[in-house]
Amino acid sequence: MEDQLQLDRKMTRRSFLRMMGGLGLAGLTVSLAGCGASSLAGHAGGEGWLPQQYQVPGTWPAQVRGRVPVEPDNPSIVRDDEKCVLCGQCLEVCKNTQTVFGHYGLPLVDEIVCINCGQCALWCPTAAITERDDTERVWQALQDPGRHVVVQTAPATRVALGEEFGLAPGTWVAGQQVAALKRLGFNAVFDTTFTADLTIMEEATELIKRIKGDLNKPLPQFTSCSPGWVKFCEYFYPELLPHMSSCKSPQQMLGALAKTYYAKKKNINPEKIFSVAVMPCTAKKFEARRPEMNGSGKYWGNKSLRDVDAVLTTRELARMLKQKSINLSKLPEENYDQLLGKSTGGAIIFGATGGVMEAAVRTAYYFITEKEPPANLLTLTPVRGLAGVKEAAVDVPGAGTLKVAVCHGMGNGRQVLEAVRRGNAPWHFIEFMSCPGGCISGGGQPRSAVPPSDEVRLKRIESLYKADARMAWRESHENSEVLALYRDFLKHPMSELAEELLHTGYTDRGKSFKQLKAVEKAKSVV
Amino acid sequence: MSKGVLVDVTRCVGCGSCVVACKMWNDLKYTKEIPAIGKDARLAAENWTVVNKVEVKKGRKSAWRFVKQQCLHCEEPACASACFSRAIQKTGSGPVVYDAKLCVGCRYCMLACPFNIPKYEWDKTFPRVRKCQMCAGRVEKGETPACVGVCPAGALTYGEREDLIRQAREKINGNSGYIKHIYGEKEAGGTSWLYISDVPFEVLGFRTNVTTRPLPGYSESILRLTPAVGLGWGAVLTGLYVYNRRRNEIAREEKGNNKANKRK
Repeated sequence: MEDQLQLDRKMTRRSFLRMMGGLGLAGLTVSLAGCGASSLAGHAGGEGWLPQQYQVPGTWPAQVRGRVPVEPDNPSIVRDDEKCVLCGQCLEVCKNTQTVFGHYGLPLVDEIVCINCGQCALWCPTAAITERDDTERVWQALQDPGRHVVVQTAPATRVALGEEFGLAPGTWVAGQQVAALKRLGFNAVFDTTFTADLTIMEEATELIKRIKGDLNKPLPQFTSCSPGWVKFCEYFYPELLPHMSSCKSPQQMLGALAKTYYAKKKNINPEKIFSVAVMPCTAKKFEARRPEMNGSGKYWGNKSLRDVDAVLTTRELARMLKQKSINLSKLPEENYDQLLGKSTGGAIIFGATGGVMEAAVRTAYYFITEKEPPANLLTLTPVRGLAGVKEAAVDVPGAGTLKVAVCHGMGNGRQVLEAVRRGNAPWHFIEFMSCPGGCISGGGQPRSAVPPSDEVRLKRIESLYKADARMAWRESHENSEVLALYRDFLKHPMSELAEELLHTGYTDRGKSFKQLKAVEKAKSVV
Repeated sequence: MSKGVLVDVTRCVGCGSCVVACKMWNDLKYTKEIPAIGKDARLAAENWTVVNKVEVKKGRKSAWRFVKQQCLHCEEPACASACFSRAIQKTGSGPVVYDAKLCVGCRYCMLACPFNIPKYEWDKTFPRVRKCQMCAGRVEKGETPACVGVCPAGALTYGEREDLIRQAREKINGNSGYIKHIYGEKEAGGTSWLYISDVPFEVLGFRTNVTTRPLPGYSESILRLTPAVGLGWGAVLTGLYVYNRRRNEIAREEKGNNKANKRK
């Protein structure tokens, strides 16, 4: 009792406040004097006992390399400097996989050599490099009641979009994707695979004309549906451009048809149509902006009309869906709109390396022999898989052996191109895809593995081939809507109208940079 | 031996790796208002190095050149000589370094610099002068400055200044494309950072009318008279004082004599 009283007396309010004040003062003195804080802010972990690489300011990563140049007005990619950690991944892929950076001479002329493939965006671990965001323009068009907004989706987005919504790599979400686009308010949802079939019709016809000598253009013929590859060839091998098929890419073909064929059939003013493309690709953004890509404009005599008004990557579409709280995985499956919405198995495999070639071989066989291709041509194993350069020889009765090659990733492309340049290329037809694995691993695809892994690539590819095997119609010339298009509008492959809307020319970009000297080139070529 | 960096303007592709490395190593912030890369890039308190994009004419064609800017680290820095509190000093290995603890904020260094490099933290309560330190800590350990180590295009070479000058001379003499001038070899009495280019330096935004005489020499030529002036002026004043005093003394004496004579 006595003790308790004493204690109470000791702890008066005044003495308590005095004690707290004293402690506070002591604390202030200590912190002002600099005790407690590490006095050498620049050094982590004290003096000299840690390896040297850690004795650096906090934001300095253990390994720093460098990065690729990205111009602020690049139509495909943008970079946020604040996120860059100089890890060097973009350099790695641009220089060694795509053989672009370091493969042009210096000093610069007046552009930064870039094939817009966007692989750097796919490899960037901090997402400092991303696609140029075009969602705002699409939102505006969707909200404009005077606009008729049409959208097309590439073959490769339907095996990757699900990954943004927690589904396993390669999950098939074609139907859900259509449903999601309808819910975003698009007036019509078309399938780029429709024009992939159309591309095969045109490209196979062109190939046969080249082989028969009806067309004064050299062999081998190069595919032209990968805009990154096209720009690569324009930069580094402009003298081989006559080999390039004059066919536009499926995206641009559909854009041109949406504002001509579709507009006419549905009686819509083409100037009211806003044409969007959902692509696995950042180079498509560049392609849509190429000045010559206004076939519909030329058709209607209105030069300002663009075939494709906006290109969204798979990632941008996922963002738009998330902004509207649309959960892709919970949606029912819906069908593409008619007229430009039907496809065959041959078109679906466009998204995988070797797919274009396989589809082309099926139809070319039919065109030459007028017979259905044998079963082994419906599973052309030699051009499937992730080998860098693949070759196949197909016996076509009455025409001999058709020799084809397939490559993906521009480092592999260079090897094939060097062979063509030297004149020892035995092939008739070569498929080039800018991105390793083909469109399924394009620069606009979900970052499901950073850097992209073959495991994810193979799952997406497998999904495409499975879909092809499921299809009733697997050859492009069997697409009833394509046949209707020829019957009602274009007449026949490579007709005058087809040339105007579906074919294009190329630009020599060889003077955009200083060519490397022979010595430097020998070092740079793989 | 003094270290330096050789910048080959023809090799720069404008990726800005050096800028990012500088920001990371020195913990500098990014500001939207003052970009560090591109056409509008300029040095600032948080931009110790910038990469400027310059569109020039090569013959009849247009061409892009990218110019890295930062402190040139003069051999005899005017900023250091202007600094009376010794906050700026040239180290033996090359970097011109700044110690905020000694700085009184007079900003004489900013006026003295012929290249307009030092910047001031105008928006801070206790502002510091800010500029490239050439990563003095790294250089001291035998490493390259942060920016040099990350350049993927080979535009930056680090080494002994004399070796770099030799290399630069070989390059510009071996290739007719280069301007026959090494910027920084003589400017302001020589700088640790050196530039070679295929476009005239004034077109790239370099100040080319800089004297080749070390700038501290100018003030030194006058300031070295300080003792003489001080002593001389002191002597004059002392003389005048002595003279006046003597004169007054004589005057007083004469006055006293006159009074005495009158009394007589």
